[in-house]
Amino acid sequence: MSALEEMLKYAIDPREFDDPEFQKDPFPLYERLREHHPIFHDRFHNRWVISRYWDIDAVFQDSEAYTRGVYKPGGDYEFGKRHVFGPNILEYGVGDEHRFMRNVVAGQFVGRKLDAFLPFIDLIAHELVDNFKEKGEVDLVSEFSNQFPIRVISNMLGLPREDEDMFVGWYQALIAGLGFGGEHLVRGLAARNEMWDYIEPLINQREKDPKDDLLSALVHAELGGRRQTMEEIKGFVALLLAAGGDTTDKAISNMWYHMMYTRPDQFADVKENPDLWTNVFTEMMRYDPVVHAQFRRTTKEIKLYNEVIPERDGVIIYLGAGNRDPRVFKDPDTFDIHRDDLHMGRENRSGRYKDGKPGHLGFGIGQHFCMGYAMARQEAIIGSTLLANSLKNFRPKFAEHEGITSPSIDSGGFRSPAELWVEFDVD
Amino acid sequence: MKLKLDLQKCIVAGECYYNHPRIIGRDDESGCPEVLVQDLQTDDDIREAHEAAEVCPAQAITVED
Repeated sequence: MSALEEMLKYAIDPREFDDPEFQKDPFPLYERLREHHPIFHDRFHNRWVISRYWDIDAVFQDSEAYTRGVYKPGGDYEFGKRHVFGPNILEYGVGDEHRFMRNVVAGQFVGRKLDAFLPFIDLIAHELVDNFKEKGEVDLVSEFSNQFPIRVISNMLGLPREDEDMFVGWYQALIAGLGFGGEHLVRGLAARNEMWDYIEPLINQREKDPKDDLLSALVHAELGGRRQTMEEIKGFVALLLAAGGDTTDKAISNMWYHMMYTRPDQFADVKENPDLWTNVFTEMMRYDPVVHAQFRRTTKEIKLYNEVIPERDGVIIYLGAGNRDPRVFKDPDTFDIHRDDLHMGRENRSGRYKDGKPGHLGFGIGQHFCMGYAMARQEAIIGSTLLANSLKNFRPKFAEHEGITSPSIDSGGFRSPAELWVEFDVD
Repeated sequence: MKLKLDLQKCIVAGECYYNHPRIIGRDDESGCPEVLVQDLQTDDDIREAHEAAEVCPAQAITVED
């Protein structure tokens, strides 16, 4: 092959990122990016693409050079006005304000606070399984994973249990809107507004009479004598639905998809040793995580390979590609819960582990490391263990499955199977 | 008062230096924390040291008299 032919063979047409095939199976394009264009200037979408593991790590680690803060080109960004969720923590780049808001909530999702909530997480998992355990078959996506994390969040916030179904409805409408856009988005925004109307009096009530719940913590937290405004609190609650509900929801579906279709042989190992659910979770987060893409904006000129990214340019980092980097993981395209070259335990915000092994990139690293990581992991493992233990002879209902996909990888559309029908024996 | 860091207990979570970069730094290679302000002089030093101890998931940070 001539040099020109070689070049053309691996050339990338930026329209490939909009191809439905990319949403279904992004990995061939990821490989071409990683191996032949480690920094790719996508002039069509006006952004730079980064895909190798250690380059992604470097972007995450340097939140001064690559910011997540938003602004309007040529002027100040009007905080919270353009975001679907309203004003929220992800709009802050770095600095005290982000750190403060993050700490208000992060503490709720780890350590003793989380431990105290585990029995309740377990209770909700049981309620859901009880709904279908006599039926002999179930769609795990709609009857379990789609319900479980959002019901947990509703209760962490301190909403009355009788309103939980309503909350689940708003959640489903908003998530469909974010994923599919168009008329779904119109319905999603209407649901968000309904939820905001519902929650406003509860926020006022927590203001006067705080309880031991997340909503009260959000209302009463102070930075330099300032509390969050009503808009900010409502924005945060909306963000929680997507960031805390939708991601964990899809993580559980993905784990079960891989156990049913990708590695049924390893599902047998997991049934024998439920401790391995932690490996299923971790390997899922590497092999095909829920979130594949993150955006940053440069705050200064950056040299990478033989390119120069100008200041204030957009950068997209494909965690989904970095996780399959053969420089880091052996046989990266094989789903293997027993792999010994991946840190299998709890994730760290630093992205570094004492066992010296690399971690998956699925939660991000650094300033914007997922603050619900410990809770997501616990929910996924508690829920999966319960399912596997309570339902006998668990098996896929259909021999074929269309697989995991996403409405739009680039717009943050989360990856998951649309449905996952399974069968089990009923005594 | 002094800020103490026990690297044996440390799990390299990174919470201390992401939250309190003024008093705790980071070794870029290993990701391990490094104490930047050991002698806690001001009220801010002391408050931040206590907060760093609180956010550490491994209880590797202590504030001693």
